[in-house]
Amino acid sequence: MTRWLVSVLLLLVTLWYLSFTATRLDRLHHRVETSWANLDVLLQKRAAVALEIAHSDIADPASSMLLTAAAYQARDANIQNRSQAESGLSGALGLLLEDSAHLATAADSALLTELSALTDKIRVAIAIHTDSVARTQMIRRKLIVRLFRLAGTAPLPITYEFESDVL
Amino acid sequence: MLSRSLKIGIVCPYSWDTPGGVQNHIRDLAEFLIASGHDVSVLAPALDETQLPDYVVNAGKPISIPYNGAVARVLFGPVAFARVRQWISQGDFDLLHLHEPAIPSISLLACWAADGPMVGTFHAAAKRQKIIFAIGPILEPAIEKLSARIAVSEAARLTLTDHLDTDAVIIPNGIYTDRYTDGKPQAKWSGNTIGFIGRFEEPRKGLSVLVDALPVISRFAPDVKVFVAGPGNPEEVIESIDPQLRQRFEFLGKISETEKADFMSSVAVYVAPNTGGESFGIILAEALAGGACVIASDIPAFDDLLGQGEYGALFESESSTALAKVVIDLLRDEKKRKDLSRRGKARAAMFDWTVVAQQIFSVYEMSIVGSQKVRLASDTRPWNRFLSKEEKP
Repeated sequence: MTRWLVSVLLLLVTLWYLSFTATRLDRLHHRVETSWANLDVLLQKRAAVALEIAHSDIADPASSMLLTAAAYQARDANIQNRSQAESGLSGALGLLLEDSAHLATAADSALLTELSALTDKIRVAIAIHTDSVARTQMIRRKLIVRLFRLAGTAPLPITYEFESDVL
Repeated sequence: MLSRSLKIGIVCPYSWDTPGGVQNHIRDLAEFLIASGHDVSVLAPALDETQLPDYVVNAGKPISIPYNGAVARVLFGPVAFARVRQWISQGDFDLLHLHEPAIPSISLLACWAADGPMVGTFHAAAKRQKIIFAIGPILEPAIEKLSARIAVSEAARLTLTDHLDTDAVIIPNGIYTDRYTDGKPQAKWSGNTIGFIGRFEEPRKGLSVLVDALPVISRFAPDVKVFVAGPGNPEEVIESIDPQLRQRFEFLGKISETEKADFMSSVAVYVAPNTGGESFGIILAEALAGGACVIASDIPAFDDLLGQGEYGALFESESSTALAKVVIDLLRDEKKRKDLSRRGKARAAMFDWTVVAQQIFSVYEMSIVGSQKVRLASDTRPWNRFLSKEEKP
């Protein structure tokens, strides 16, 4: 009798743990998706602001060309070379901001303020996204998750290499 | 500052009526958010319900537990858990902001109970504790529910990464810099004076380091005076001072915010000889804002806040000879003092609430994108949904 009870209890605990882990994993997958969507929107916005800056008086013709090219590349990049393209854009913006900080007029400085506010947000968004990806990958490596296929059909999130230091 | 008004729930783990850095931070943040048009509710334990401001909801009476070298007044248990759940389900919050969710407290309970956008702020800095191997597996699934984590300093971030294998965004604690900028220099505190503010009875505040340094300092600056402000009974400290030097010390008791501003702009140097257990050092930010020339021990939090000596002088922690050397050096050199306090004052601007709250709010915005409101986690589990339908026809 006791042996029977114990095995039922054990089964219940296992079932609870499975459901608990599945809920946890589901929440993480959801987080990966939303944090990516959020980051994607911010990066698109940054590309748009970069184009505006390229067309304003802040940029000299050469930097304007470089910036326009980088912004278009970032916009059109597919998932494989997105990271590289975004880093390129960060680099181009960095180059421009380094030596134009002193000659911006009032109208242009509004653009620059917008850019710096965006950059701050992107930094946070990247931190949130990379963290959720790392978490998900870690949980999905667990034996129990692989054994019971708790991840279902959700694709394994890929680590997106951001170079946050050039932002 | 923001696009729309949010309903924000903040959980304070420590007793609201006990003074402390976390409580002050939450009070200032809540008041700043309310002033900028948000609906804020703070859940906190409290001893005396009648003293609470109207945005604070009482969670119950706290109990005292030893934590991180001090006594923490926190609250947990089944009754508290029910209170937390009730607060969450009635609050209809867009976002929860949990403070110090990794210690046993209502913050951790809220983290367990809720589902949805949650931000956690980690205040404490502590050395790696062995016990984490045992409690890590319990904490991790809860901490993981936070959409974003904030650490108040590099020291707090390292504590978090060490203990829980997760990263955080660093956002410093805030102060209202304008409360300190227009302090009027007072003659009674001017001259060759050293200032100290804090609960001097606690050994980790390091007053004894300053007491031990005074014999050397007074040899080079015979007219030196030390003003100690802060709550506590000075008798025991006075006992430990060399009788010949006792008249060099003056204990002011607890001083008000305006007096603090005057104090900071009057004293020649402000000394913070803390020996550890400090994660951010809000008093240093206030001292910098008040235009004081700051001397602090080189513990990680202070080293960070003072930019490795750029905005204030550092000395080797717990070494009274090192402290004496730095104090004498600065008391003799007025130009150096002025330089440090000018740079320090500029530094303090980055701790102003207008800057800090904007950063915190950015994190809020990031966390609520694409998520629903905060609900009870149990409501989203399929069998509970089924059960509750049967209960409520």
